[in-house]
Amino acid sequence: MSEQKQVKVHVEDVNKSYGSNHVLRDISLDVHPNEVVVMIGPSGSGKSTFLRMLNQLEMPDSGTILVDGYDILDKKTDINKVRENIGMVFQNFNLFNNYTVIQNVMLAPVQLGKMGKEEAEKRARELLETVGLADKADMSVGSLSGGQKQRVAIARALAMDPDIMLFDEPTSALDPEMVGDVLDVMKDLARSGMTMIIVTHEMGFAKQVADRVVFFESGKIQESGEPEQIFNAPKNARLQEFLSKVMQA
Amino acid sequence: MKRILLLLTTFMAGLVMVSQGLTASADTTPNYVITTDATYPPFDFQDKNNQYVGIDQDILKEIAKREGFTYTLKPMSFNAATQSVTSDQADGVIAGMSITDERRQVFDFSTPYYKSGIAWAVSKDSKVKSLDDLRGKTVAIKTGTSGANYALSVQKKYGFKVTYFNDSETLYRDVINGNSVATFGDLPVLQYSIKNGTQLKVMNPKDPFEAGEYGFAVKKGGNAKLLASFDKGFAEIKKDGTYDKIVNKYLDASASTFTGNKANSTTVWGILTSNKKAFLDGLFETILLTVMGIFLASIWGIILGIMGISQNKFVRGTATTIIYIFRGLPMMVLAFFIYIGLPTAIGFKIPAFVAGVITLILNEGAYTGAFVRGGFEAVERGQMEAARSLGLSYGVAMRKVIMPQGIKIMVPSFINQFIITLKDTSILSAIGILELTQTGTLIVSRNSQGFKVWAIIAVIYLVVITLLTWLSNWVEKRTKA
Repeated sequence: MSEQKQVKVHVEDVNKSYGSNHVLRDISLDVHPNEVVVMIGPSGSGKSTFLRMLNQLEMPDSGTILVDGYDILDKKTDINKVRENIGMVFQNFNLFNNYTVIQNVMLAPVQLGKMGKEEAEKRARELLETVGLADKADMSVGSLSGGQKQRVAIARALAMDPDIMLFDEPTSALDPEMVGDVLDVMKDLARSGMTMIIVTHEMGFAKQVADRVVFFESGKIQESGEPEQIFNAPKNARLQEFLSKVMQA
Repeated sequence: MKRILLLLTTFMAGLVMVSQGLTASADTTPNYVITTDATYPPFDFQDKNNQYVGIDQDILKEIAKREGFTYTLKPMSFNAATQSVTSDQADGVIAGMSITDERRQVFDFSTPYYKSGIAWAVSKDSKVKSLDDLRGKTVAIKTGTSGANYALSVQKKYGFKVTYFNDSETLYRDVINGNSVATFGDLPVLQYSIKNGTQLKVMNPKDPFEAGEYGFAVKKGGNAKLLASFDKGFAEIKKDGTYDKIVNKYLDASASTFTGNKANSTTVWGILTSNKKAFLDGLFETILLTVMGIFLASIWGIILGIMGISQNKFVRGTATTIIYIFRGLPMMVLAFFIYIGLPTAIGFKIPAFVAGVITLILNEGAYTGAFVRGGFEAVERGQMEAARSLGLSYGVAMRKVIMPQGIKIMVPSFINQFIITLKDTSILSAIGILELTQTGTLIVSRNSQGFKVWAIIAVIYLVVITLLTWLSNWVEKRTKA
């Protein structure tokens, strides 16, 4: 784990309910620079909701969330500025259907004045190269496979040069043979030192890449620790039960 | 969005000024706006040159000449003609209008200029002999006329049902075709029409009911100067015989004197050539209304649609309410409200064309707003989330991601709405705009060739709609590419 004292994401006592459904209860979590945190747990345990709060796609009912030192729940904080530094990758890719592959990657840097069109295009081609899709640059997004779409989505998020990347079940909507390509890109990213928070059901990947694994269940963090500990010596009874189910499958 | 709003208001302001400029005269002679019934021969009707003639029109023209005033004539339905005066949209009305106590409550009348009375008429070969035979049958009457009032006053006694019409020609046709069995109307009007070939017979030519008199009218308490001029001028033309000449000119002559020879008004080609200018003018007006309606209603509709998906609850609610109200209102009610109702409340005139365009904007804009909102909502939620999570603002995300996708979804709805707008312009004939439909009404009132004239009008509409559809499909193809 990193030696740095500085905290990238600081979450304290966050609660969230949808009506009578209490989806997050008193969640606290710190994420340090260059750390890769993987969140696991059964469906509906609140891990995706939690992840979406970190860039304010969802609002908590109470609690504190600091990202890069910014209190993102403070109305005075310019959430757009904070979001520029947080890349997000969705389960369903959400590529912009009205643009080509490279236009998807270039849109935000150009619109936000981060770079000129030419520079953005050059950078976009580099990013597509790193995700292995340089040859698809000028295709429409509709003609890509799921795995290719997700890699474009990662390139699009990276185009803003973020220092945190959020992944919301990035491989759940993919055919099994596509999963590997996407995970490889994510592994490269982790190796490069990116701070990453990942919600996933890929236990092998978690074991391999995570600095820390966090187990969500019933809106609570039941247990967290290094992958070794979580997967080989789980203490929490629910985690044990969860692991026995997913490992069987 | 602000820029569009600004453009819109500037445009509307310009429109108002232009239309007012058209009616204002440069010199100091007073210019009045006078309304009249578009189809009320022998008092008010168009001749073969599409000029308004008739006993009313000739009297008015003669008096204006002698008294030194000018006027802008606005032909419309009788009902709209009288209401335009009470709502200050016009200064006076001359439309074979009977002087009654009820009307005296809201109008000041001139010296009576014509003695008339109510007659009732049936189809030429009808078996109806007396008013008692009308029990259980339907009687056709013209909205707002004293014939209608009389019919209603005896309706209970004779036990008939009534059906209303806004123009005489359609009304007569209804009786001749047997949908209704009789009509009540002013004696000279019925007689003139029968003399010119309408297949009706008057049942009480000798003893009309409620013998009454026609008067020129202004709003009660207003336009005293105009009324005085009319009375003074009328006394003069009565004295020197001009008045009798005018009356005889119309009552003795057959209709063809005014409406052209028989061939001109019975063959389709004849109708087309002898009314070429009228058809073209009407078509031009229809196209002008359509183009302006489509353009401005689309802008307004897109604004409403964007408001409808706003993050702000209040803005969203406003859009929903506006769409609800104007989609719910029948277009004709809206047109009457803007043209006849609103000026009373705001205190200045709204020219018919402007009122028509505003009606189109509000009505068609509401429909457009509804499908624009729907189109934006049909864009996956994830598209917005992805755009926002990159740091794009709501506005940029809308403009660059959501709107281009939404508009693609909406293109077929837009084309549909354009065609509906074109057809809906015909409803504006109700407030007297001389577009294609109103043109048809006027020509039919002159030549009684309902089938042929309406067939011509229908074909013109179909041709224009076909052209509009082609244009739209071409645009659609281009947006798809």
